[in-house]
Amino acid sequence: MLLTVTDTARIAHGIWQLTLTGTFPYDTVQPGQFLMIRIGAGLEHVLRRPVSIAAVTEDSLAIVFRVVGKGTQWLSERKAGDGLDVLGPLGTGFPLPPAKARVLIVGGGIGAPPLYFLAERVQPLSDRLDVALGFQTQADSFWVDRFAVLGNLKLATDDGSLGLKGTVIDAVESLAADGLKWDYVYACGPIPMLKVVKQCFASQEVQGYVSLEERMACGVGACYGCVCQTGGGSGTRRVCADGPVFDWNGVVL
Amino acid sequence: MSVPDLSVEIAGLHLRNPVMPASGCFGFGREYARFYPLNQLGAVVTKAVTLEPRLGNPTPRVAEAGGGMLNAIGLANPGVRHVAAVELPWLAKQGVPVIVNAAGQTKDEYVEVVRIISASGLANAVELNVSCPNVKAGGISFGVSPQVLEDLVCSVRKVCSLPLFVKLSPNVTDIRQIALAAQAGGADGLTLINTLIGMQIDIRRRRPVLANKTGGLSGPAVKPVAVRMVYEVTQVVGIPVIGMGGIYSGEDAVEFIMAGASAVMVGTANFTDPFACPRIIAEIAQFMQEHGIGSLAEIRGCIA
Ligand SMILES: Cc1cc2nc3c(=O)[nH]c(=O)nc-3n(C[C@H](O)[C@H](O)[C@H](O)COP(=O)(O)OP(=O)(O)OC[C@H]3O[C@@H](n4cnc5c(N)ncnc54)[C@H](O)[C@@H]3O)c2cc1C
Ligand SMILES: Cc1cc2nc3c(=O)[nH]c(=O)nc-3n(C[C@H](O)[C@H](O)[C@H](O)COP(=O)(O)O)c2cc1C
Ligand code: FES
Repeated sequence: MLLTVTDTARIAHGIWQLTLTGTFPYDTVQPGQFLMIRIGAGLEHVLRRPVSIAAVTEDSLAIVFRVVGKGTQWLSERKAGDGLDVLGPLGTGFPLPPAKARVLIVGGGIGAPPLYFLAERVQPLSDRLDVALGFQTQADSFWVDRFAVLGNLKLATDDGSLGLKGTVIDAVESLAADGLKWDYVYACGPIPMLKVVKQCFASQEVQGYVSLEERMACGVGACYGCVCQTGGGSGTRRVCADGPVFDWNGVVL
Repeated sequence: MSVPDLSVEIAGLHLRNPVMPASGCFGFGREYARFYPLNQLGAVVTKAVTLEPRLGNPTPRVAEAGGGMLNAIGLANPGVRHVAAVELPWLAKQGVPVIVNAAGQTKDEYVEVVRIISASGLANAVELNVSCPNVKAGGISFGVSPQVLEDLVCSVRKVCSLPLFVKLSPNVTDIRQIALAAQAGGADGLTLINTLIGMQIDIRRRRPVLANKTGGLSGPAVKPVAVRMVYEVTQVVGIPVIGMGGIYSGEDAVEFIMAGASAVMVGTANFTDPFACPRIIAEIAQFMQEHGIGSLAEIRGCIA
């Protein structure tokens, strides 16, 4: 489908936000779902780029991405009024917690965007929402104010320029040190971070979900390009269709 | 002028149009059935099926490569028995011919896979993927030696009551010799080209992009090679050829048909545009209409 860019902004060092409008199932899209975005009009870029849906209103959606290569560079050069060929919403998103659950959301860097959409949906349901976000430095951070409105926010940066000096794991530990307990934990970020978050809760009765990244071709479950390994390592799941969100006990991190 | 006739007869198969998805780029059809009814296609071609389930290669399995892509999926599939029990019964109900792509690591494995597909009564044709490594010959692909290939096709032919297509690998010195060997072994038709082996290096991390190091190149980048091979092969064989490699538009498809192909397969384009196949069908019809072409036979192999 063709969406129209209505707004573009550089919101942090190397990080861009695009607001898109047009015909889209805004009312049924789930947090954790993503778009496959066509790069350029010609045939140089044959693979679409997966980008999470970061926020939704009744007639628009936002994506937030870091420029890491040609595709994201091209995306960052879009202007208001440009069309964007997107496929979506794709994938299986975050299952929402039951009412009154105590929820922790953990995001590392560019893993944060889909968690904002999740936090918006969780906030009215939960009794307690804590958010731990980690960035490299303050210059890399984004949407901090928006997260802060939704829950109790604990920040960490590698150099201490914003929040704690340390990683997002230090932010989680600092929240836990305040005696907080959670029923649901949702995390998105680099695999080593996800591993440690899972370990942090190994001895607790917690329902944990992680959102994974893998290189994709089709984005719809047909090519088996994007698989991850299931819990016992005995099978595979497709990140694009069975995920990107998985129960953290069901996949090998 | 009247509506052009897109139908084709190939090796006893009647196809309502010459466009079908290429193996491995369309799963077992279910995912793309969400985008359009599969009966718009000439046929559906499944991903490669092996005797036992295969998990495939480690990731990354796919990478973009200037005007194309590399893949090293590693024949991930749930195994022929599961495919015959679960995927083929569903596909058989979609109102479109089904071509099952069969792969193996030994001759015996190919024979058993094809026997099961043929006996299932749920497929309309078999496409033999001979680009797989032959474990009994040190991992050299079945598709690179005329003798090995003829023997393989001959053995498979004996258990296959369906039209048998052999899918040729382009990673050979002279594709005509391979094509003739497949014909001599008893193939009813040929499909080409499979992917060209390639490699891409992440120069910052100083390592290959794909976990498998090498992968198959497909997409627009391979099209001129594919057109040339279809042309060369159709000059020497007497059986029909289905062409593929970088087809993205109706005009690309017409190019293959003019090179000598009877029909075409569309792979990578499905990833760029999930509606690629129905769009290409409409574009072929439009080209025929604009150029006063009544049937595909009028332009097949028409180049001087
Ligand atoms: C489900 C999902 C959601 C994502 N959401 C976001 C998001 O909200 N914001 C954001 O900044 N990034 C997100 N990513 C990562 C994003 O897809 C990559 O940064 C992007 O594809 C890089 O493209 P490029 O052309 O700029 O980089 P290049 O390195 O030039 O890309 C080359 C190829 O590798 C692929 N690739 C490179 N890095 C990644 C990666 N990390 N994950 C998957 N494929 C990759 C590209 O898609 C492309 O096919 C997400 C990835 C997935 C799988
Ligand atoms: C992701 C992917 C998976 C593939 N899997 C198979 C396969 O299982 N069996 C096979 O014979 N060919 C396979 N191929 C090759 C294609 O069927 C086709 O021959 C090739 O991609 C060239 O066509 P294209 O340029 O239109 O993609 C695969 C190609 C891709 C890109
Ligand atoms: S990207 Fe094709 S199966 Fe996930």
